[in-house]
Order: sequence, then structure tokens, then C-alpha cells
Amino acid sequence: MPIYPTLAVAAAVVVVLLELRVLRSGLLREPAYWISMGICFGFMIPVDGWLTKHSAPIVLYRPDDTSGIYPIWDIPLEEYAYAFALLTLVMLAWDRLGRKEAVTYRAAFRASVRGSGSSASAGTHRTGAA
Amino acid sequence: MDRFQYLLLMGACVLITLPLELCLGSRVWRQPRRLAISLLPAFALFVVWDIWATSTGTWDFNPRYTVGLTLPGGMAIEELVFFTVIPICGLLTLETVRRILQVWGSH
Repeated sequence: MPIYPTLAVAAAVVVVLLELRVLRSGLLREPAYWISMGICFGFMIPVDGWLTKHSAPIVLYRPDDTSGIYPIWDIPLEEYAYAFALLTLVMLAWDRLGRKEAVTYRAAFRASVRGSGSSASAGTHRTGAA
Repeated sequence: MDRFQYLLLMGACVLITLPLELCLGSRVWRQPRRLAISLLPAFALFVVWDIWATSTGTWDFNPRYTVGLTLPGGMAIEELVFFTVIPICGLLTLETVRRILQVWGSH
């Protein structure tokens, strides 16, 4: 495999392992994280598309070093792994530094999901128990 | 103006995500210390990678669309802006989505 896709995939794997084995923040289980990544990838298309467009490139790649696969416009496939690693690493650090806030947020989110998702049945149970 | 293309693109990214902080109440720019420290590890890693990739020729920067200031090895200084701006956009998105889900969840 050429060098750029190799390193990009390795970076993404290392960041995921960092979370799963070391930090264990729960970020990758959080719906807000996956929704955010979806939005970021959406905006990545015009921004990175502009940077890499073959007609007037700002960044030029040596063809031998890339996968040569361009799913959307002229953005190399491995660029998505690169972006995933960059954004996820920063988000992990952000949550690590504001740990209390992130944990409180997740607890509140879980409670609200539980509350709204099963409020009817939980309500009956509670009434029954009382 | 062509020389500023890369920088202008980064400026546009800052502007377009600013309402997330100003209107939707994400607190990312307003925690400058936390923000700066959380950018650091990724910044260091990706800049080292970038310097290496540029010097070995994996990628290169078009002199026509960059201001022409480079780090050793040829890495355009715009990349330093990229590794600051793009992660901030990501954090603003994450914090905004969290706030929205939180508000929805509380109703």
C-alpha cells in the first residue's frame, strides 16, 4: 500500500485504540459524536475539494504515494481517515480537559433519553410501586 | 489575490462556524485555555507528519495559491492555520450538536 493511505489508516486506528484502551471517555458511543462527524465530513467535501481539485490544486500529491481512489471530486480516499484521526484526537483531548463537563453532559443526555423514551411505562411502574 | 486562496479558505471556515459560538451557544472560543491545550497534541503530531510528508515529496503546495512562507522541508505555513482552524470547526460542531440534543432531550 502507498505511504499516505498506510499512515492515514494507521493514524485513525491509533486514535480509536487510544480511546478504547486508554482514555475510555465514551466519546465513540455518543450519538452527538457521530452526528458531528457526519456534519464535518459533509463540510469537508467543499473545503478539501477546493484544496485538492486537479484543475487548480492548492495541495498536490505525488500519485505514487496515494491510493489513487477519488470517491468524491479529487479528494483521495485516505483523506477521510486522515480527517477522522485529526478531528477525533482533538475531540478526545477537549473532553479529557473538560472531563467534568463532558461526563455531566453524557449523564444528562442518557437520563433524558431514558426519561423521554420510557416515561409512560416508567410512570406506570412507579405508580404501581407506590 | 490568488496567493491568499488557502488563507481565505481557512478564514471562510472560521466565519461560517462563528454563529455556532455566537448564536447557538457553543462555548469553544470562550474557553481559550482549554481550547489551546486540546489542540496541541494533534497539532504537534500532524505538523511533524506534514513536514515529513512535504520533505519526502508525498505532497507539495502550489506556490500560486499560498503566500510563500514555508517551514523547513517546504511545508506551507497555511498548514499551521489548517491544523488550528479545522479542529476548532470540529469542536464547535460537536458542542453545538450536544447542546441541541440536550435541549431536545429535556423536552
